[in-house]
Amino acid sequence: MKIDLTFIWTAFLQILPAIPTTLVITLVSVLAGFVIGLLAALARIYKVPVLGQAASAYVTFIRGTPMLTHLLLIYFGLPVLLDALSAQFGWGFKSASIPMIGFAFISFSITAGAYMSEVIRSGLLAVDRGQLEAAYSVGMTTPQALRRIIFPQALSVSIPNLSNSVIGMLHGSTLAFTVSVVDINAKAQIVASTNWKFFEAYIAAALIFWGLTLLIERLTAVIEKRMNLYNRGGIV
Amino acid sequence: MGAPFDLSFIFRFFPKLLDTLGLTLLIVAGSLAAGIFAGFLVALPRMYNVPVLKRFSQVYVSFFRGTPILIQLFLFYYGLPEILKLAGIDISKAPVLFFVIITYGLNTGAFLSETIRASVTAVNRGQIEAAYAVGMTGYQAFSRIVWPQALAVAVPVFSNVVLALLKDTSLAFTLGVMELTGKAQTLGALTQHFVEAYISLALIYLVISLVLERLLKLAERRLLRHEQPVSTGGGRFRLWFRLPRARSYRQLIADANAGKGGAEL
Repeated sequence: MKIDLTFIWTAFLQILPAIPTTLVITLVSVLAGFVIGLLAALARIYKVPVLGQAASAYVTFIRGTPMLTHLLLIYFGLPVLLDALSAQFGWGFKSASIPMIGFAFISFSITAGAYMSEVIRSGLLAVDRGQLEAAYSVGMTTPQALRRIIFPQALSVSIPNLSNSVIGMLHGSTLAFTVSVVDINAKAQIVASTNWKFFEAYIAAALIFWGLTLLIERLTAVIEKRMNLYNRGGIV
Repeated sequence: MGAPFDLSFIFRFFPKLLDTLGLTLLIVAGSLAAGIFAGFLVALPRMYNVPVLKRFSQVYVSFFRGTPILIQLFLFYYGLPEILKLAGIDISKAPVLFFVIITYGLNTGAFLSETIRASVTAVNRGQIEAAYAVGMTGYQAFSRIVWPQALAVAVPVFSNVVLALLKDTSLAFTLGVMELTGKAQTLGALTQHFVEAYISLALIYLVISLVLERLLKLAERRLLRHEQPVSTGGGRFRLWFRLPRARSYRQLIADANAGKGGAEL
């Protein structure tokens, strides 16, 4: 069998419509993961009695196990749990009504949350303590100081790591095929299964992912430049 | 979906899953060996600024960091035999494990080459100059002065790469390799106790990750014996909260680039 160059192009065109699915999964998991991560990071930094330890356990567990196991656990475990609860309390809710992509959203958000929490925590820790003290000394409350002084600086420090997390989730979204969501990877499989030209189809899929990744990197560079405007000059 | 939840199955699955632990660790070890080799080969042209090869290694690193490992697995599984066939080599009968280790090895190599480059760059230029000043040759300066220091800087990032690799091996089941994840799926399908199978799978991965992390931490401490703890006071890197152990500025720099993902072309 020869490598069929024209089929790479055909496959490329057929895979293109699956890009939005991949991007939606990535976007949802990154945004939800950011919120989860922020809460977990704050709980750990402020050593909130029970929540702090729970957040630590959550981060350790998620970071110590593959993303695939999270997806499988949610996919098989959540319906059992929900149906049991629903039967107990008579909610009249059936787990079968959850769309397949919903499992991907939930599980990837949980995964992203743990990784994001580490990124956010290191970002917050990188801000000089003097900044917080200065904010207090001009009479800001803690939420004000966090929102106006700490978060913006922490965000600009974490941009490179956040971009790595986004790229990680983009690449991780390929796992969605295990719960029958048709993303770029699944589409490549479907396209190839008609004529068994798997190699060509996966070259097309790889090129698309490569392009998306480079795009994210470029965007990050622009955002980083903009975010660090306040920080130019001086000794750094 | 499946049989009702039964806690005892989690424990019953443990020994069955542990049977396949060796295969998972074999994939990790094999890919790591291949990855270290590939990483060095790829890092050298960029460190020594070799004109054309430098561009090649940039593209290599960018590709492997810019595409999902799952896509790479399929790409190599289906593509490698066809490409090698053009060169007259027939490997279509090679075991799947071979393709898995090659793919993970090349993937790890891309990440490791960046690590190697970053940690060699992290060693102070004055160290090499001092080595030359006392009359060492280029090779001696590298193997006696730069290498031991770079190794210590690289360990934290290396440990991240190893843990990521361990977790990535869970994808090998897509090619039909019976490692931990594949076995858990089979057990789940046989007994219809999917949730229990995946819980014990997750616990096994968790324990291996924690053990590996602890071991690499020990290695790091051993390699850093030469270095006095440096206080990280001053500048933007001062931390508000006490870290478990004072770390040098160099390590913070190496750590900052620890994430997986990113193409950087």
